Amino acid sequence: MSKLLLFLLALPVFSQDPRQIILEVQKRQHSDSQRYEGTLEVTSQGNQVATKRWVYQRIGSFGNSKAILRFTAPAEVKGVGLLIVNHPDRASDQWMWRPAIGRDQRIALQDRSTRFFGTDFSFEDLEERDVDQYDYKLLADEGGMWKLESRPRKSSQYEYSYFWIKKDNYTFVKIEAYNKKGLVRTIDYKNYEQIKGIWTARLTEVYDVVRKSRTILKYEKLEYNLPMKDDDFTLQALRRDL
Amino acid sequence: MILLRLISWPYACKHLLRVLLTTAGIVLGVGVFVGMRTANKSVLAAFNQTIDRIAGASQLQVTAGDAGFDEDVLDKIRELPEVRAAAPVIEATVGTGQNNLLVLGVDMLGDRNIRNYDLEGNDEAIDDPLIFLAQPDSLMVTKKFADERGLKVNSKLPMRTMQGDQVFTVRGIMKPGGLANAFGGDLAIMDIYAAQKMFGRGRKFDRIDIALEEGTALEGATGKLQTLLGSGFQVEPPSSRGQQFESTSRMYALASNITSVFALFIGMFIIYNTFAIAVTERRSEIGILRALGATRGQIRTLFLTESAIAGLAGTCVGVLFGIAMARAMSGYIGGMLTEIYGVAQSPGDLTLDPWLIGTAVAMGLVTSLVAAVIPARSAAGVDPVKALQKGGFQSLGEGENRARRRWALAFGVASVVAFAFNRFWFVTYAGFILAILAAVLLSPALSFWLSRALRPLLAGLRPVEGALAADSLIQAPRRTSGTIAALMLSLALVISLGGLARSSYDSLAEWMRIALNPDFFVTTAETLSSRSFVFPGSLADGLRGIDGVAEVQPVRSVRVMVKNAPIMIIAGDIGMIAKRVHLPPVEGNSEEMYRLAAEEKGVVVSANFARLHNAHMGEVLEIPTPAGILRLPIVGVVDDFSDQQGTLLLNRALFIRYWHDDSVNVFRVYVAPGADAPQVRQRILQAFGGQQRLFVLTNREVRDFITKLTDQWFGLTNVQTAVAVLVAILGIVNALTVSITDRRRELGVLQAVGGLRNQIRHTIWMEAIAIGIIGVALGLALGAVQLFYSIEIARRDLVGISIDYAYPFQTALILIPVILGSALLAALGPAESAVRGSLIEALEYE
Repeated sequence: MSKLLLFLLALPVFSQDPRQIILEVQKRQHSDSQRYEGTLEVTSQGNQVATKRWVYQRIGSFGNSKAILRFTAPAEVKGVGLLIVNHPDRASDQWMWRPAIGRDQRIALQDRSTRFFGTDFSFEDLEERDVDQYDYKLLADEGGMWKLESRPRKSSQYEYSYFWIKKDNYTFVKIEAYNKKGLVRTIDYKNYEQIKGIWTARLTEVYDVVRKSRTILKYEKLEYNLPMKDDDFTLQALRRDL
Repeated sequence: MILLRLISWPYACKHLLRVLLTTAGIVLGVGVFVGMRTANKSVLAAFNQTIDRIAGASQLQVTAGDAGFDEDVLDKIRELPEVRAAAPVIEATVGTGQNNLLVLGVDMLGDRNIRNYDLEGNDEAIDDPLIFLAQPDSLMVTKKFADERGLKVNSKLPMRTMQGDQVFTVRGIMKPGGLANAFGGDLAIMDIYAAQKMFGRGRKFDRIDIALEEGTALEGATGKLQTLLGSGFQVEPPSSRGQQFESTSRMYALASNITSVFALFIGMFIIYNTFAIAVTERRSEIGILRALGATRGQIRTLFLTESAIAGLAGTCVGVLFGIAMARAMSGYIGGMLTEIYGVAQSPGDLTLDPWLIGTAVAMGLVTSLVAAVIPARSAAGVDPVKALQKGGFQSLGEGENRARRRWALAFGVASVVAFAFNRFWFVTYAGFILAILAAVLLSPALSFWLSRALRPLLAGLRPVEGALAADSLIQAPRRTSGTIAALMLSLALVISLGGLARSSYDSLAEWMRIALNPDFFVTTAETLSSRSFVFPGSLADGLRGIDGVAEVQPVRSVRVMVKNAPIMIIAGDIGMIAKRVHLPPVEGNSEEMYRLAAEEKGVVVSANFARLHNAHMGEVLEIPTPAGILRLPIVGVVDDFSDQQGTLLLNRALFIRYWHDDSVNVFRVYVAPGADAPQVRQRILQAFGGQQRLFVLTNREVRDFITKLTDQWFGLTNVQTAVAVLVAILGIVNALTVSITDRRRELGVLQAVGGLRNQIRHTIWMEAIAIGIIGVALGLALGAVQLFYSIEIARRDLVGISIDYAYPFQTALILIPVILGSALLAALGPAESAVRGSLIEALEYE
């Protein structure tokens, strides 16, 4: 008995504490900034495929980051942007910019559960919440992966989520998100590559269980730690045309 | 039952036309009652249904009158923990060539928390939600609307907006049902921020729909929201909008109710008359029955049962007739209410209220039973010995009843006293009813006197026929009194409605002359009542810069809840208006009231607001505004016809401060002396017409529009005239039929001694015309009295505006030939039946 206890104590602390696992994930994925060009393919239940492109830029890291996402194609949606300002202690602030009517619109908290511009992401899925905004529980440790349960401490569309994290490189493999009625969304992270020492998924696949539609986000020209200015992540910057 | 089968049924078969005519009285009464009420209810139900469907899952709605409020109110509301979802809305109606289209501007991101858009195909029918949001021309329409116009996804739909002519793209089609059925299916959804631009609303919302967190008490949440927003906002369940519309249009509902009840009342006289005839005709039959042992009670029951059956049959047909009538009228009423009140609704299917149908059946039955009481009593009172004797039927020629005259005199005096002391509403209404009762009771005596007065005239025209016709009326005044009473009542109603219309037109013309004196009205719609679009206040400077424009007065009009009623606020530059418009004050001093209002020290109210809402000079009104309660004393009362619920005239600068709204509904434009008005109009259109939705209405066009609205309002008079003509025809046919039956021997003798068939015909015709003349004379006279009461009731309880008494001579002059022509037409059939009857049978009566 005492041997077993000794053995358990000898294990690294983070391998047992789910919060520590998440912290390690965030630590390994940390970068001061990020930029990529994303291609979105939304496949509806009827197998209709709509493709859009955006440019994503982020400054700062988990819980304190700011991001601007701006659509570049098709032509009808070019310039439509989203500014996300994440906070460590509360839900992010989000504003949408629509150049055709020349005005920004704050995305209300109540609307965060709605689909993000017809994709299978919700506005909430685009947030980067601080680790302390969730309670974690380690559910399983098998097949080289941890299975964690995450429950939001603050208002969220999700009741809880399951994370699968690879033990060898601390990368997300899959997320299942549940609301009161059950499973609503799955997110798969694929095609991992190391970019500037950071293991990065080059493809994210979101499946909306209710709508039975799928969105694939491909990351292109992905770069980390580029020089960026805070001024480029403000409402004024959002309002600037491409 | 046996009596019904053996006696009533053969009689009914033999006098099928008569039975149909009797039934027609009830059909008419019940039909008008059901038709008008159903049409009104359908319009109200359509409005309520639209509200209900548009409301979706919202439990509360926040409004600030119809002026709208700043966007930041939304954030405040969303902060409340009780609020699960809050969705802003802009609602407007747009003409699209065919029906009006209700455009709902919603926040496409979060609105599905409140409303469910059930789309064709699957959700992707909004071809691409991002494109829908990104492109302000995006529109989602209902399947019904799309089918009617042959629209598909990506079809184009042009609309005239505050951004000029715009082509919208259909990016989604909603399945029928639920929200898509609102406004009769003529509904379109667009992004609210695009709608703000399209309708010129600036950064304002019309309304915020709220869904509460589960388990939140409605009252508690209402209180919290009210405290949060202040008393300038209304926090109410969606259903209260329907109540407001009902209250706004209550005047129309009341007027149509009066019409339908009157129609039923007149129907009662027709039945009475027909049964009185039946008793006369079947006198010998009754005598035989009585001789064979039938009791008085059985005879009475027989007639009452006959009447009940006829009433029931008439009621059933009347209900069907009413439904058909409602179907035809609901569109008209809906359109009229939209134009008058500027409130959008579109009646689709009829709303059949089982209670209304039940009430109509009960009313039809009760009316027919009440109408048959007196004839049934006289049938029961028939002496079998006298009844079996051949000869004239004395029961219909008893002469005047002194007791009736005494009652009539008493009622008449009481009516005059009531009119003199009409401080309380019930005294006025009692006086009105007493005057009608007095006239009804006096009608046999008056018929007798007038028949005597007519005799020399008729005898002068045709010595034999004229004298015979007049004598027939003189000898049996009660025979025709029912017809004459019915005719009198319906004509009196036509005269009082016509008089009210005429008096209103006169007062309205005077108000338009004084108040609507600009050369042009620059508006956002072809009609002044539409308030969906607004101009930015800055357009005033642009208009002032047009060559030939001397003065521009921006005016904003919004409805706000004051004293628990939706009252129209008219905000203008009072200093400028006072120089051009001098409305005579009903209370207060003209110069003083305009000065105080211009200095923002008071508000000028319309006389109808003061009367209908019991407001008086000096009273401090509490006007809810988005910035809180605005307290202003009443500094003057003027006659103003802008709105039926009343108006408050405020200085525009004050309005802008309290409502944070500098938008404008109408620019009153005065042309410089010497400038060519049509050219100035053209310049305005050239300068601004292409950039935005803009109409330049001339003074004449605005006056014509208001007159057209008034015409529509008094369109009820046409229904009344039609009822009067039908009453004349039905009543006169009945009266003449009994007259011929009563005088069969006399007419037979006349033919036997060489009287020509034409002489008989002329006698009947002259009798009919005499009935018509008497009915018209009494109707026009009673109408003169009724008009006094109508004006008083309208002033006190309906429009609240003083209307000068003006007798509708033109209507009266039209009625005379119409009714006399109808009388003659009604006499053709009975006259032919008189000359074609068997001479031997007629002489056998002696």
